[in-house]
Amino acid sequence: MKEVQLLTEHYSKPEYRTLKGYQQWGGYETLKKALKMPPQQIIDEVKNSGLRGRGGAGFPTGMKWGFLPKNGEPRFLLCNGDEGEPGTFKDRIIFEQAPHQLIEGMIISGFAIGSKKGYIYIRGEYKKPAAIIEAALGEAYEVGLLGKNILGTGIDFDLDVYWGAGAYICGEETGMISSLEGDKGQPKLKPPFPAVQGYLKKPTIVNNVETLAAVVPIIRDGATAYRQFGTEKSPGTKLFSLSGNVNKPGNYEVSLGTPLKDLIYDFGGGIKGDRQLKAVIPGGSSAPVLTADEVLKANLDYESLAGLGTMLGSGAVIVIDDSQCMVDLLGVLTHFYSHESCGQCTPCREGTGWLNKIVHSILEGRGRLQDIELLEKVAHQMKGKTICALSDAAALPVISFITKFRDEFEFYVREGRSKVKGISHAKMHH
Amino acid sequence: MPKCTINGKEIEVKEGTSIIQAMTENGQRIAHYCWHPGLSVAGVCRLCMVEIEGNPRVQIACNTMVTEGMKINNTSEKVKEAVKWGLDFHLINHPLDCPICDQAGECGLQDQYMEYGIYDSEMAERKVKKHKVVSLGDRIVLDSERCILCSRCVRFTDEVTGTKELGIFNRGDRSEIGTFEDRPLNNKYSINTVDICPVGALTSKDFRFKQRVWYLKDGDTICTGCSTGCNTKVYFNREGIFRIKPRFNKEVNGYWMCDEGRDLYKVFNRENRQIKALKKLGHSFEEMLPGAAAKDIFKNLSTSLQGASLVVTGQLSNEDLQKAFSFFTGALNSKQIYHWKNNPESWSDFDGLLLRGDKNPNTKGVEKCFEEFQIQTRFEDLEAALEQSQISTLVVMVPENIFAYPDLSAKLKHFGKAKNLILLSSSLVSLEDVRGGAHCWVVPMKTTIEKSGSFINHNGLTQFFKKVTTLVSEALTVDQALTLMGGGEVTVEMPHSSSETRFLVDYNHRSDQVKAEAYKKNEFSFKRGTL
Repeated sequence: MKEVQLLTEHYSKPEYRTLKGYQQWGGYETLKKALKMPPQQIIDEVKNSGLRGRGGAGFPTGMKWGFLPKNGEPRFLLCNGDEGEPGTFKDRIIFEQAPHQLIEGMIISGFAIGSKKGYIYIRGEYKKPAAIIEAALGEAYEVGLLGKNILGTGIDFDLDVYWGAGAYICGEETGMISSLEGDKGQPKLKPPFPAVQGYLKKPTIVNNVETLAAVVPIIRDGATAYRQFGTEKSPGTKLFSLSGNVNKPGNYEVSLGTPLKDLIYDFGGGIKGDRQLKAVIPGGSSAPVLTADEVLKANLDYESLAGLGTMLGSGAVIVIDDSQCMVDLLGVLTHFYSHESCGQCTPCREGTGWLNKIVHSILEGRGRLQDIELLEKVAHQMKGKTICALSDAAALPVISFITKFRDEFEFYVREGRSKVKGISHAKMHH
Repeated sequence: MPKCTINGKEIEVKEGTSIIQAMTENGQRIAHYCWHPGLSVAGVCRLCMVEIEGNPRVQIACNTMVTEGMKINNTSEKVKEAVKWGLDFHLINHPLDCPICDQAGECGLQDQYMEYGIYDSEMAERKVKKHKVVSLGDRIVLDSERCILCSRCVRFTDEVTGTKELGIFNRGDRSEIGTFEDRPLNNKYSINTVDICPVGALTSKDFRFKQRVWYLKDGDTICTGCSTGCNTKVYFNREGIFRIKPRFNKEVNGYWMCDEGRDLYKVFNRENRQIKALKKLGHSFEEMLPGAAAKDIFKNLSTSLQGASLVVTGQLSNEDLQKAFSFFTGALNSKQIYHWKNNPESWSDFDGLLLRGDKNPNTKGVEKCFEEFQIQTRFEDLEAALEQSQISTLVVMVPENIFAYPDLSAKLKHFGKAKNLILLSSSLVSLEDVRGGAHCWVVPMKTTIEKSGSFINHNGLTQFFKKVTTLVSEALTVDQALTLMGGGEVTVEMPHSSSETRFLVDYNHRSDQVKAEAYKKNEFSFKRGTL
């Protein structure tokens, strides 16, 4: 099986991150083409390509752009580079290897939606990627690709980098907007949606790094060419961050609809140490886990994974082999979500902490059998009750882990030690 | 004007009304903490869940607008389950310290739990520990563990006062309300945060630990602190008044009132009141009952009362002013009525929200009376006349809110230059101030909360108030005092015996009857043993 390289064709070349190198491989040619097109045509092209948001929710990008009010009101284009979903590192490679691809995509998108100002929101831990993208911005400003009167077309577009401070919740689009406004990173109540009232109460579009980068090949080759990849409902290619117990972890661009097992066994080189596959978290830590049997049936596209009760999410595929204790892993996840809950909505603020405490009580040998049922109950009550999806993201792994690996939880509660590792939590970690 | 059906009842609401507004305005009950009609919508407590026909998920009522034909209910099992769990999430880390919590009895958590909760908690983990007894400012104490982070107080300082002292620090279940290092919560409206706090997290330093709220009754009145005339509620029992809270009036004060106004309960309580009448003919003071003192004035001064001068302030109600003006212009045949103004140079001050520079509730009313009785006098003339010992009898209606009259003591000493000085005062008069040469009577009077009447506020709006309670039962109203001073008789409605004046004038009859009256007025009977 061959890797498709629509976005990542030149990522292996170190010079690709400079303006000169990027232009050498056809960089900014698409921008020149796009600036001659009527903006609506670009939006239509993106709509026809069926591009879906690559950040996690998979919302059709063209449709999102269509929600903007049709008037001359100033509007903003924000690039979401917070990339906080555990297991995800695909945006990082775009920042590091192809910063100009993102910039080109943003100028085209900004032109299409009529925005004159964009921000790249980058997570605080991404110091090196941020330095690279800032250098690239400098280059682009120098040759007049950004700023006033881009390439003599009379179109203005300014772009700035904004560093987050490392909060998971700032990856949620309204949380990111709050952070960008200088407030505490907390999601805002919807409605109004950002497309109507977002950054500084102006219409705002928030797109993921990969989504904006993907606009370049779509405009370059046209929607039909893009649709040759992927499936009917999930066209195109996507970057997957493969991690966990595999031989060759890393970022892989594959055509959507590729079987999940191919990603693991062909690209990823199979399970480390020839162990047995036990489970896979297919779309970042908030996606419900798949068992080994389900992995065989799963394809890497939105509809196939939704059919299995999970989601494509950000494309972070975390492979779990049979040496891992699921109770222990869930402890890691619940700790993450209780640490990252912004604390605004009560069910999430209290619920994430409660889940974490129950799981750790089990891990520390103080579990009660009714705790397993209680975990499920609490998680169910956290679903769909809050402003943003963090509460759901915290609840879904709990429900799926317990439903699919209940025997491990029951064993842990009864014996006070891991069924897989045979030892207690304290011994596992110290 | 969209029409919708809420719990089977069809109602019509204004465009842009949220479901929770529609429900509360139409008397439907809905659980909520973070929503407050005077603040923006936060949508964080997730308790005001409703089911809307055609939508599989329960929605929050505070951020959902009513649309035409919407069918809403909040009584289905689905909603009840959601609210029950919403409460459970609020309560898992909430300390169970109701017995020592000031909010107990008027606590949102207690109320909602009794209505929507009533379950056995499954929380078996250790509760989150947070800061306790944090002093946020001069008037407010915070208990973070009790806080449910509804953000009402934060939104109040952001949106109403614009002072932005408060914020939520940290995140997740470690979130806490707090102030910034160099900016304590010391704005002039800070106690409103205590009012809107649905739990016992924010408490007023002044009120905390003074009373259990179920031993308090409340009554509506008008604030006498300034010419805004905020509508207020006073909370009292037979020991006195313990606090004042604002009462909603869209035209005047909205949902709020200032801290200064809340302090005024002190002027009503017995410790700051003139309780016994004083009489001085020679050099020593003689204590007597108020009614007896008023009669004594008539006995001693009957003829020299003619042509007496009167000093009034904007602290008197319209009814009292009418009585005083007609008594002086009529029976006493005097037009020597003077308007004593405190700090008139700052009367036009306004802080943009509620506080006004004119610290009298009824200045407009006084001005109206002067016009009506066609009296044009200058207070300066009175002062000059006093200086030259030209005043023989002077009656002073001492202001009820003495905090607003910082030069009271100096002024009283000056009034003492009159040959006969009669002070009608509800507040405690210092003997030092009236020790000067003249004959002097001090007659205890009733305060605003002990009588009915009306004030005209800065805007010309006449607001009526009713008697709330009686704290000094032997004190006289202006009507009674002037009637007795004019030689008339006063009858008092007594709970058990027929009407008689004697209780006002005779010590022997007092104690039983006062007690009986106090009981009746407060309608209090403590039922012991049921707790």
